[in-house]
Amino acid sequence: MRTQFRDTVSALGDADEKVVVVLGDISMFQFKNFAEKHSNRFFNMGICENSLISITAGLSSQGLRPFVHTIAPFLVDRCVEQIKLDMCYNEFGGTIVTTGATFDYAWDGATHHTYMDLAILRMLPKMGVCQPGSKKEVDSLIRARYAGADPTYVRLSDNPHGLDIDVTFGKANVLKNSSKKLTVMTAGPIAGNVMEAVKDLDVNIVYFSTIKPIDGEAVRKFKDTPILVVHDAFGLHEAINAEMPGLNTTYQGLPDAFCGWYGTVHDLRKRVGLDPASIRAKAQSMLGQRNF
Amino acid sequence: MSALPAFKLPERPLKMDARAKEIRTNIINVSASSGHGHIPTSFSIVDALCAVYNTMSHDPKQPKKADRDIFILSKGHAALGFYCTLATYGYFPIEEVYGFGKFDQKFGCHPDRTKVPGAEASTGSLGHGISLAAGMALGMKIKGENKRRAYTLIGDGESNEGTVWETIMVSVHRKLDNLTIIFDANNSQIRCMPVDNAAARFAAFGCDVHEVDGHDIAAMEKALKAPAKSVKVLVAHTVKGYGCRSLHEGTGMFEWHRRSPKPEEREMLLGELDAYSV
Repeated sequence: MRTQFRDTVSALGDADEKVVVVLGDISMFQFKNFAEKHSNRFFNMGICENSLISITAGLSSQGLRPFVHTIAPFLVDRCVEQIKLDMCYNEFGGTIVTTGATFDYAWDGATHHTYMDLAILRMLPKMGVCQPGSKKEVDSLIRARYAGADPTYVRLSDNPHGLDIDVTFGKANVLKNSSKKLTVMTAGPIAGNVMEAVKDLDVNIVYFSTIKPIDGEAVRKFKDTPILVVHDAFGLHEAINAEMPGLNTTYQGLPDAFCGWYGTVHDLRKRVGLDPASIRAKAQSMLGQRNF
Repeated sequence: MSALPAFKLPERPLKMDARAKEIRTNIINVSASSGHGHIPTSFSIVDALCAVYNTMSHDPKQPKKADRDIFILSKGHAALGFYCTLATYGYFPIEEVYGFGKFDQKFGCHPDRTKVPGAEASTGSLGHGISLAAGMALGMKIKGENKRRAYTLIGDGESNEGTVWETIMVSVHRKLDNLTIIFDANNSQIRCMPVDNAAARFAAFGCDVHEVDGHDIAAMEKALKAPAKSVKVLVAHTVKGYGCRSLHEGTGMFEWHRRSPKPEEREMLLGELDAYSV
């Protein structure tokens, strides 16, 4: 997804002199060509995430279309107040693009895990919150939002879901719609495990690439079935329930604990019950079936 | 850190500028009327604000004019001083400011750029406005707007925040010689963590430092107009509460930090202001 981010922003930057790239000492080699072609609009600013966000807001105030990019926990968790005040409250837009989603850096421990970002940012007025699961989605969501007045968060991952889904900002995709018994709702890269787990079961499957605004129509459409929300972060479950309080939802996702077990993203997903087998067992249990 | 000679304010107050007196009078009256406002911190910056608005390119009748310079009050709690300054310089009638802090009015106790003509950023949480100003200065450079400048006023207390120094490092590295920072050295942090020898600190970061009497408008205008070799910093030595004896003598600046005068105190403060101005 990071190479797609580079390609999309490079193409936009070639055509639009307002596009500016601000990096926090990451992805410099990815943007080597952009830096050479547009040296006055490329800044590897340093390891100073709070200032990166505020400076990005300042660039936006001058009519530019900045992209600010570095590792997710440092650019979001650390900078919530800068995003809240300098971008949202001040109404200075821009696109925040992070890498290192959830357990992408499993081996680095909890300092590098990111799971609050979507949940926190969806609470901020004017913020658009995107969780693409493939290169195609990255391209589509960035193009839809980068020139708008409101700030946008785009959460990249090194573990795309491997599905071919055409997404539209703010709209969910109903991938399967035939069940009266159970609806599985998911978002972003974990959708790969979800599809592998439940595609042959009697369930509906709804995929979200945008956490805010959540597609309320898609939520209400399945209000009459129990809903299993499978997500490797916080935010989607909350957004669905905020959209329609009283739904019968169950969350299969992260525990209230630091997941500092190292290893790979697959190791951690399995430990917390987000591997295909665990997701399938949960869905079968909700369908009243024995686990096979 | 290189040692600079200690800066000394003049023993006797300068004759107060007529506009600066008008602004301070309005600060006292609006605060007394509304029950809101940080008077001492507003008083310490009035003269610096006059110097900035006398110097920078701006048009109160066209606050969004494309080629304007930009000023951001980073220490947003001095909003009352800022509003009264903008009123004196023609952005809106002072009568509007009497809605200060009241429900559904434009003038909150911290500025909101979407409501107040002339306010370029909504500030209040410390250590944000300076970084926004740096981004604006960088934006001007990218667009080739070489005649425009960004100004920001930060507090010495605010400079306990790490983002102040983070942004200064970035700004110097990016050669933002179109950014001017006014550092209000009003000694508000003497009870916790003062920023001692501020001029040497800024110089050590590579800034173009001018150490000035923060109540001498002419001296500040001269420093503001001087060609900039780097990020320009005016270390403006001020008295928190300058203009009224009660606000700065003894522990006055702490007692009055966020306190509005009762009717009899209003009269007392206005009298003290008169005494300062002759």
